[in-house]
Amino acid sequence: MELAAYESRTSVNDIQLITRVVAGDAAAERELYETYVDRIYRLAFRLAGDDELARDFTQATFIRAFEKIGSFRGDSSLSTWLHSIGVSVALNGLRKTKRQRNREAPMEEGISIGASRIEAEPDLKERMARAIDGLAEKYRMVFVMHDVEGYTHEEISGALNIPIGTSKSHLFQARSKLRVALADFAPEWVS
Amino acid sequence: MTEENFEKFVKESAQSYNAPPARVPRDEMWNAIQAQRAAGPRVVYGGGLRLSGVSPRRFHAKVWLGAAAAAMLLVATGVGIGRWTASTAPRAAGTQTIGAVIVPPPEKVAAVATPDAGLSSQQSAVQSTAAAVERSSTGDVRSGGQRVSNGSSLTNGGEGRVATIAGQDSRAPTSAYQLTTVRYLSEAEALLTSFRARNPADQQMDAQLGAWARQLLTNTRLLLDSPVGNDPHRRPLLEDLELVLVQIVQQSPGTAPQDRELIEKTLQQEHVLTRLRTAIPAGAQHGS
Repeated sequence: MELAAYESRTSVNDIQLITRVVAGDAAAERELYETYVDRIYRLAFRLAGDDELARDFTQATFIRAFEKIGSFRGDSSLSTWLHSIGVSVALNGLRKTKRQRNREAPMEEGISIGASRIEAEPDLKERMARAIDGLAEKYRMVFVMHDVEGYTHEEISGALNIPIGTSKSHLFQARSKLRVALADFAPEWVS
Repeated sequence: MTEENFEKFVKESAQSYNAPPARVPRDEMWNAIQAQRAAGPRVVYGGGLRLSGVSPRRFHAKVWLGAAAAAMLLVATGVGIGRWTASTAPRAAGTQTIGAVIVPPPEKVAAVATPDAGLSSQQSAVQSTAAAVERSSTGDVRSGGQRVSNGSSLTNGGEGRVATIAGQDSRAPTSAYQLTTVRYLSEAEALLTSFRARNPADQQMDAQLGAWARQLLTNTRLLLDSPVGNDPHRRPLLEDLELVLVQIVQQSPGTAPQDRELIEKTLQQEHVLTRLRTAIPAGAQHGS
């Protein structure tokens, strides 16, 4: 994932692309989609840990974006605007998922919803996943976006509609909680 | 240094957290988006939209369950409204009939309640008349200070007698008609009592009674044509009242005494006043 490439393409093509999409240019819609779909999908997958949910969230994000793009005022970059939609869709969906899974917990307990987890020691991987899942939503969001997906605090601020300082604070809190949760692995980072 | 190490360690370790597949299903999602947009919007996940034509997702059961429940509720509400509307349609027509019921003006009652003759029987009758008219004009039926509701069962508090109005017969009219009928009967009772208590020599009184009877006659016909006319207990009384009212209307200052006797005879033979008072679900005319 080349963030610089995204930023470059966005800054150059934002206005023209939006104008064409608003005018009903199907090719422009596809271009906008191709430009941002990977990042939206990856973030959705990171948050959901499930391919079907990630697809649902991504699709809903773009459908909503195409419907609302006429009201896009340009206060933020197109990327930020799209991500704010994506995060909103994902969070709403995850909250509903959580409620549903809580009801189904007895049957699904112990079944991992993650798809392909690679590298990392099995124990560390599992502990890390549980620790991140155990974070409060606001901390988890910032941590995943920043430390896992590489978003900047400016991007997180725009997508989550929070001040940059709040984003940094949430990240600090998230790391602190993870440090406690992963204390058993301290030699790994102390050495 | 430790902090930097931890940050590096966390970032590396967390890459395995919900790691997405290497290949993003771009085309599949694009096709699904196009299909959904073509099919029209549907609310999903509170903030997003989704459309039909997509492969079933785990949320679909919940969404469809909610939609089915909403549809069932809508249908049930529609059926309920339909039935309610059907059952109240005649009632609405009857409401117009209610507006046609004429309450005699107070001056007319006062005129009726001022007999020339000072007989005690006439005074008593006039008091009864005034009480009946008062009940009919207020619409409230009271007995001994106890309010008697206009429901399915009305109580004559003075005598403990219960007159069932509605609910016994499927043809029984609605409460609105019942209220109208009670008011009408009270007026009729007041008129007939005044008629019997009048001074035969008072031609002006006869004229006023005739005018009053004409108004009641109109209401009688309206009631006979309303659901009240289907009431097997009320219809004969209304028909007898119609006859008596016609006779009163037809009398004039020059009417022969025999004609007036005919009216009296009708009232007595058919026990019109007795039936009338029995039909009125209150004991005001009996005093309290």
